[in-house]
Amino acid sequence: MNRRFDLHVLGWFLVVFGGFLLLPLPFALATDEPGLPWLGSATVAAAVGLGVVLATRTRDRRLHPKDGFLVVSGAWLLASILGALPYVLAGALGWVDAIFETVSGFTTTGSTVITDTTVTLRSILLWRALTQWLGGMGIILFTIAILPLLGIGGMQLFKAEVPGPVDEKLHPRLATTARMLWGIYVGLTAAEWLGLWLLGVSGFEALCHALATMATGGFSTRNQSVGELGSAGVQWLITVFMLLAGTNFVLHFRLLQGRLKDVLKDVELRWFAAIVVGSIVILTASLHRPEVPLADTLLMTSFQTASIVSTTGFVTADFETWPHLAQLVLLLLMLVGGMSGSTAGGIKSLRLVLAFTSLRASIHRAVHPRAVVPVKYHGEVVDDDVVSGVWGFLLAYVLIVLVVTGVVAAYGYDLLTAVSASLTTLGNVGPGIGDVGAYDNFSHFPAVAKLALSFAMLVGRLELFTVLALFSRRFWRH
Amino acid sequence: MKALVVGGGLVGSTLASRLAADGHDVVVVESSRDRLSQLADTLDVQTVQGNGTTVEALEAAGIADCDVLIASTASDEANMVVALIGSSIFHVPKVVARLRNPDHERSFRAIARQLPGDHVCVNPDLAAVEKILSLLPVPGAADVASFLDGKLLIAGFPLPRDSAFSGMLLSHLRLLFPERSVLAVAIRRRDDWFIPHGEDEFREGDLVYFSISPAELDNVLELVGARKAPERRVMVAGATRIGIGVAARLEAAGVPVALIDEDRTRCQEAAGQLERAMVLHGTPTDHELLEDEGVGRASAFVACSDNHQLNVVACLLARRLGAAHTFALVDNPALSGLVGEMGIDAVISPRLLTVGLAAHFVRRGRVRAAAALLEDEVELIEVDLGRGTRLVQGPLGEVGLPRGVLVAALLRDGIVVVPGGGDRAQPGDRAVLISTTERARELDTLVGS
Repeated sequence: MNRRFDLHVLGWFLVVFGGFLLLPLPFALATDEPGLPWLGSATVAAAVGLGVVLATRTRDRRLHPKDGFLVVSGAWLLASILGALPYVLAGALGWVDAIFETVSGFTTTGSTVITDTTVTLRSILLWRALTQWLGGMGIILFTIAILPLLGIGGMQLFKAEVPGPVDEKLHPRLATTARMLWGIYVGLTAAEWLGLWLLGVSGFEALCHALATMATGGFSTRNQSVGELGSAGVQWLITVFMLLAGTNFVLHFRLLQGRLKDVLKDVELRWFAAIVVGSIVILTASLHRPEVPLADTLLMTSFQTASIVSTTGFVTADFETWPHLAQLVLLLLMLVGGMSGSTAGGIKSLRLVLAFTSLRASIHRAVHPRAVVPVKYHGEVVDDDVVSGVWGFLLAYVLIVLVVTGVVAAYGYDLLTAVSASLTTLGNVGPGIGDVGAYDNFSHFPAVAKLALSFAMLVGRLELFTVLALFSRRFWRH
Repeated sequence: MKALVVGGGLVGSTLASRLAADGHDVVVVESSRDRLSQLADTLDVQTVQGNGTTVEALEAAGIADCDVLIASTASDEANMVVALIGSSIFHVPKVVARLRNPDHERSFRAIARQLPGDHVCVNPDLAAVEKILSLLPVPGAADVASFLDGKLLIAGFPLPRDSAFSGMLLSHLRLLFPERSVLAVAIRRRDDWFIPHGEDEFREGDLVYFSISPAELDNVLELVGARKAPERRVMVAGATRIGIGVAARLEAAGVPVALIDEDRTRCQEAAGQLERAMVLHGTPTDHELLEDEGVGRASAFVACSDNHQLNVVACLLARRLGAAHTFALVDNPALSGLVGEMGIDAVISPRLLTVGLAAHFVRRGRVRAAAALLEDEVELIEVDLGRGTRLVQGPLGEVGLPRGVLVAALLRDGIVVVPGGGDRAQPGDRAVLISTTERARELDTLVGS
């Protein structure tokens, strides 16, 4: 491990991050809101960054996979702390709340402690949406560039899945691929912004929602989220873009190449689609009332399904009042999450596919003890490393859910609140059920619970092991 | 004709002896002195000691004026080099390369297209797979080849004691099959081969080759007394290229397949390549494993491992455990002679199939793997008849077909016609002719223009 150079990289990250902190400044000045929070925090970030850069100059610029864990976790942590500065400087939130809100932003979760958006500075709301959008951008880079190298949680498989211009492995032209996928990300965001604006949403709110959708974040400028924002058309549009954001960006890229057939053949996409359609059907069956037009019910269930499975977390309905079956569907969707290679969180359908395939192989082996049954994905044999990585990930996921549930429950919250808060933060969804339901927020939690939930968001966003590895003694040993 | 055979292993030496028997001048190039002196003692061929992949050795063997070059060493790479030297430097008109790896075969074909002369790859593994696949749907047959795009089967059956055919005159087949959709085209009685006539009779113990239109297959099977398994389930032993090839083609046809191999790595590779087939790790002679996995309900057990003795033993075991039909890969001619008496349905020798295909190519040009017979004592050819060929000059009874040569079928406008003596072949027909190998030369005068 090259700790000196890791710090050097993080120093440069802070300098760039200082630049990001200036993004809301023109908007703030144009709308007569204070510019100090932005100038102040940008200065702090750039100064600290430059200091670290100068202090850690080194010739040895070699990076090892281990450095990846440190740099990535460090970057998200630093972004969460310095990104909290504007909230504090603007007097909008206290430190703990500010950090919770920023972590929730950069991990594209969307759980919020802001109780009333109508009294919040608009530049702060813009920054909130921006943290999500920048977090989503970071996740795309993390997924294509760093995750395969770290080889954790079965995502080695992703290495071969990510395309170059001619369907080659990605590594040699990392920058090119990142730029292409970012291009898709930016393009889709712009399209949604335009679409919302055309449907009558104000330019500012359309932008904030577009930024939060493509990152599968879920911060809204309204207290009642998208439900308050606009008509059925607006909600359908956001539904579609949430699903697009929860889809593997590599597939968007293939679609742009005109390779529709390859896209439709994608096994993970088929599973994802089946999960989405299945959930909509179950929710519609359990929620539909004869006095309501079917189209309305369908919009409501589709929106909620898309929002939760893509781990965005916008809401248009109070699922607090839903029957238990429907709530269970939502909890399961929180657990599953979107596709690999998207900005969505959760376990991800790729791992689900592999786990099920591996389970089926195990059953086959139980019936025919001498049979050699490999786990296959897209007709190719999946390495045992990958399969055991997937199972390890699932186990770790469940354990963390239990621990975080325990922490929340220890403060006297009911089980549904505790479980759903844990699932929603680890899966980077946003709202839960119970005291963290559709129209509730997270401000009522004590500081320790807020930090525990923030930690869950960070761990979930970085595919568990990137962060967990830092807690292993072996990691720090040479 | 002068033929140069590079590589004096089983394929090379057998082929050399076949070609010498056909009356060709044969030169064998081989690097091992021991093997070479053995060849020189037993065969009427010229031998040259040397490395066949060098231009010098080939020149010393007289490649400059040879008509056919056969590369039959054990190595694909060496065979490609030999074949390419032959056609690019010496412009040998006919070149045969024995290649086992399908990738090599594809590359070789691509290169050969740019070169002068006639090229053919013979692939022992592919030939064996094709042979096994044509044997499987014809239970009880010792040999099957398909002609005329699958519209005509030539199948050899050993006649058991209780067969309805035993003691019957051949001409009585007409009574059973008035359309002549089934014809006896060749018979092996003890060690003699002959092309039979109407007044010959079937005897028990004969190996009879019938030409059969596929619609009549079930009737023939009933008459020869072959038992047909109620459902098709195949067990393949040995995850070799042949074993995997057979399993892959069967699973594609929807037949349940189990593939057994004792090597775990090979099992994993096979399981990776196959979709639905079940791959089992274990010895093919493991009594318990075979029983647990239902060998008793298998319609066929095919032993394809590289260990040919093991193949025989596994087949005998599978037969005892109730497999309806068993097939074994055996290259050793001495061993395969024994096997017929043990109740194994057919013995497939990839190398002898290779020899058959190569010899066929030397005699007449293009060959199809599906048309190779396990026995090289009869010659079956499928030819397009031109305007000038002797065969179309009059009714078949009058064009002077020599005794021992038979027109088994004609394909005209997509329909198979089995001609009688009064019928005429027409230009544009495709004909299937059969003769014993000794008479094979006469075929040329009939179909050549």
